[in-house]
Amino acid sequence: MSQSLRPYLSCVRSTLTAALSLSNFASQAAERHNVPEIEAASSPELLLNPLTVSRNAEERVLVEPSVNSVRVSIRIKQADEIEHILVHKFTRFLTQRAEAFFILRRKAVPGYDISFLITNLHTEEMLKHKLVDFIIEFMEEVDKEISEMKLFLNARARFVAESFLTPFD
Amino acid sequence: MANINWRTINIDALDPESSYNFDLSTLTPAVQPVSTADVQTLTGQIRQLLRGGDASGALQGALENAPYGADEQGKAAHLSVVTECLNQIRQAEMTPLLQRMYKAEGGSELCDTLMKYLYKGMSQGTDTPTRNHAGAKSMTPQATGGFSQAGGRNFGGTEGGGQAMSVFLSWHEKLVEMVGPGSIVRVMSDRRTV
Amino acid sequence: MAAPQVHHLFHAPVADHSFSADRQTLAVARDTSISLYTRPSPTSPTFTPTASLRGHDKTITGVDIAPRSGRIVTCSQDRNAYVWEASPTGEWKPTLVLLRINRAATGVRWSPSEAKFAVGSGARIIAVCYFEADNDWWVSKHVKKPLRSTVTAIAWHPNSVLLAAGSTDGHARVFSAFIKGTDARPEASVWGERLPFGTVCGEYLNPTAGWVHDVAFSPSGNALAYCAHDSTVTVVYPSAPDQPPSAIISIPTQLLPFTSILWSSETEILAAGYDCGVYRFSGPEWRLSGTLDTVAAAGGGGEQREESALNMFRNMDLKGRSGGGGSGGDDTRLKTVHQNSISTLRAYEGGDGEEVTRISTGGVDGRVVVWTL
Repeated sequence: MSQSLRPYLSCVRSTLTAALSLSNFASQAAERHNVPEIEAASSPELLLNPLTVSRNAEERVLVEPSVNSVRVSIRIKQADEIEHILVHKFTRFLTQRAEAFFILRRKAVPGYDISFLITNLHTEEMLKHKLVDFIIEFMEEVDKEISEMKLFLNARARFVAESFLTPFD
Repeated sequence: MANINWRTINIDALDPESSYNFDLSTLTPAVQPVSTADVQTLTGQIRQLLRGGDASGALQGALENAPYGADEQGKAAHLSVVTECLNQIRQAEMTPLLQRMYKAEGGSELCDTLMKYLYKGMSQGTDTPTRNHAGAKSMTPQATGGFSQAGGRNFGGTEGGGQAMSVFLSWHEKLVEMVGPGSIVRVMSDRRTV
Repeated sequence: MAAPQVHHLFHAPVADHSFSADRQTLAVARDTSISLYTRPSPTSPTFTPTASLRGHDKTITGVDIAPRSGRIVTCSQDRNAYVWEASPTGEWKPTLVLLRINRAATGVRWSPSEAKFAVGSGARIIAVCYFEADNDWWVSKHVKKPLRSTVTAIAWHPNSVLLAAGSTDGHARVFSAFIKGTDARPEASVWGERLPFGTVCGEYLNPTAGWVHDVAFSPSGNALAYCAHDSTVTVVYPSAPDQPPSAIISIPTQLLPFTSILWSSETEILAAGYDCGVYRFSGPEWRLSGTLDTVAAAGGGGEQREESALNMFRNMDLKGRSGGGGSGGDDTRLKTVHQNSISTLRAYEGGDGEEVTRISTGGVDGRVVVWTL
């Protein structure tokens, strides 16, 4: 684990703990409606200042809080083209199953790879500190998964290339 | 015949009474506009203090006079001077400095302002050139774990940026230990942005 | 300090709760209906569910039981409010209140005189309702003028004329809710005298401008406290009408924001919120002086440590969770009594001029806890 990963994750953890103070808030714009205000953005006073936590230009987390919902967007480190494709496929796999995921948003916020939308319903049903734990674990795991996928990809490519070229030996 | 597509008119934006047109300046009545020249003089003074070696005094001065009313340029200039102060203060001095600042009169507000600058600094990424005083911070070793196949995952451009960010991250960790999540909530809700 | 009495009612958030005057009946807002609980016998420590008041379509946001008359008023996100009266047969009969608002109602409180109640709403209006005997219904008068966003909290002054309101536009305001015919003319106070309906007696905004979650008048009515989303508790001491206040003391805290606030005496404020615990502030140089949770946390600590080794290995075996450190062990249970944020804090014993000795809190975890101070 890199030396700057731990403070990065603890910074994200404390930012999320502070942002997850959500309450049930009925819409001011439409009667008898209750919408996540960060998505509807109908009233500027209900949205709080978005905060960014970044480790470097490639890895950042954007937390956009509001009165009843929080949007957390993560940019995963992609050093080269192949990782770019792997991250894209990985996030696509998850976002296509967003319904089962509950807190996942189907489309990532522009500029980021994956976004979560946590509303007051989620904080009522689930424990806030476990939600934060989950997101932190997700961030740790994703990096490992991507590099593991890349290793396997390279290994398979080498094996295929070897077996292709053996008859020509 | 109107050439506008009347179906896409945002009627809420045109209605002065609607909640869409909430005037955010009502939430910051005390903010006075500050000219860029004033900000320049202030940053000049702070750099003087820094060159004199009084990094903690410089930081305190920079935080007390945060230019909430300045325009983008002024704010960016002030951010760069605060970043310089933060870079110059050594690891060992961080905690005692923060404790002194917090215990002092109005210290809580100074800590909140520092938190605002930390987040602003992190949101800039590497598009602003950060001046790193190389003697001050230790190099952060990058992860090489199972990535050796890929070659260095950090190319030259992000090296300097990563170092600046780690400064912010370590300051953030120490500050949160002292002021708790309350300060982060204040950064989120305070409309006087740096 | 006696241990708190925990009533774990159900697994849904309790938006608001209210005890009857004799503390035998508890009304709890449970999504779209009110659940009434009573004690089987006056000395029994537990509550059993007795009735359910249905009538609202959407989440109920406020419940209040008037201490003397026993009437229950409820308001909900479906823009309606009902006044429920107990009939001799034990059934509760609802009377619709004409609020004339076109957005959700966010909270309701009876005035100390119980002749009227105030409802805050998302329509940027406070509806002060009183009973009109000629037509046998509850009518409302609206306070609109300086409100620019949803009203989140309302509190009455002991004289039943002044009303404090907190809103998401960051301001805490004090209005006059004087209704000719229902109210007797109030005496002059620091907030002003001869106040027609809707006059703004004071408007307060923190520099850190967070949404105001709750407001409360001090027992004498001469000071106002409010808690906002910027994790601060602010106490305002007005000097005279139309003069700047003699003191505004703002206490920034290190904790998460508070959602509910209560004066237990002239020199002590209790606040509860997203940290799932109740905190004390002592005046007059207001500062955070402690929490009510310490007893509960200390009691469970000893036994837990012995069992934790067994639990750790059991978790490793059953759930594949490696024990120790941050993510191991059973950290799904918070150390505080409430397992999720606290939504309302009310006086249980005391109040109305006397010092408060017991309080009740209702939380998002479905628990109503009675604490002894």
